[in-house]
Amino acid sequence: MAIDGQKIIHAVMEGSRYRDAKGIIPLFGVYLSLFSVRYYNKLSFEFETTIKDTNPYNAETLLTDAAQECGYATFHGIRNSREWEEIVLPMIEKPEDQLEGFVAVAVAFGWGDLQIVELVPNERLVVRANESYEATGYLESYGFSNSSKCYMLRGVCGAFMDLIYGEAYPEGCFTFSAIEEKCRAKGDKFCEFVVKKSFKKKSFF
Amino acid sequence: MTPLEWQRDLKRKGSKLLLSSILIAMHCHHYNINLQHMLEITMGDQGIELMYRSAEEASYFMFKEYFRKYGRIKTLKSKIELACSVYQNCGLGVLHFLKIQSDCGHAISPASHHVTGWLAKHGRRDTTGCHFTRGWIAGLFEVLFGRPLGTYKVVETACKMMRNDTCIFEIME
Repeated sequence: MAIDGQKIIHAVMEGSRYRDAKGIIPLFGVYLSLFSVRYYNKLSFEFETTIKDTNPYNAETLLTDAAQECGYATFHGIRNSREWEEIVLPMIEKPEDQLEGFVAVAVAFGWGDLQIVELVPNERLVVRANESYEATGYLESYGFSNSSKCYMLRGVCGAFMDLIYGEAYPEGCFTFSAIEEKCRAKGDKFCEFVVKKSFKKKSFF
Repeated sequence: MTPLEWQRDLKRKGSKLLLSSILIAMHCHHYNINLQHMLEITMGDQGIELMYRSAEEASYFMFKEYFRKYGRIKTLKSKIELACSVYQNCGLGVLHFLKIQSDCGHAISPASHHVTGWLAKHGRRDTTGCHFTRGWIAGLFEVLFGRPLGTYKVVETACKMMRNDTCIFEIME
């Protein structure tokens, strides 16, 4: 049975309308917030520009690792949540189907129209995005770039493979790493992320 | 309270998520707190300032659009109510404005996404940490009183991340 992404999207949209008395949205095992992508883009791109010449840390690595650690924790929470059990689990027939479920949730979160292009189990994942808010935001604010700019999606794609093929949580984080080989911010037609086994296991986080 | 009309205003357009024509994304506390932690560690005060200005700018343009769209909401009180409703319904927490003047203000927050997230990931801290909310408030005030970005300074004088009872914000021009 194929993953029905629209069901997941519907659940996220309906779920996000639940607000407890504290204005906190507990959903899928995490606390969700909704806010303008302008905030995230300004934060990421000004951070990158500011520390480029003055700090030993590499902005690209820091931003990507932040997203990968987040994605790893978030989607682990998601696949252990009541909502996942009720809505997604019935649609899963093999481990790789989880990836489609993760992608559907990411789309529901407004991160872009992600699609799985290629999967070699435990080796390689290729994900494509046509409307990444990161690339769109960069183009609108800065014009074309010489390098890829979708750090959040890049980290999240790595986390997807960590969760499916890495060691049991929480040991599997950074087993894989992603490179954004194509990016609309560079003038490509779409953004494309290639995930492979990583040689590093350590991160700032 | 003047609510946002969620059933009508939270919409999908293709893969985009829109709140009254403002492009938004959902993110969890892991990502929001990771970004904050990274900024504080690598850039110190400059990172805190970046987080504040980013929230301020996003809030500013968001409320410019909301108040334009909801033109029937005219009084200051009703605009503040709408803003607090937006804050709460976006999962950011609860805000109460106790004093609102064009040159100053006072607000408290008994609950916050960033507080909840920070305490869950890192526990108590020794300095105030609601840089996002400070910026959010500044952007709102600038729209409420027709001032340019950067007009208001918002300081946090008590913070639940430090285990104070509530977060307290002072707004000054």
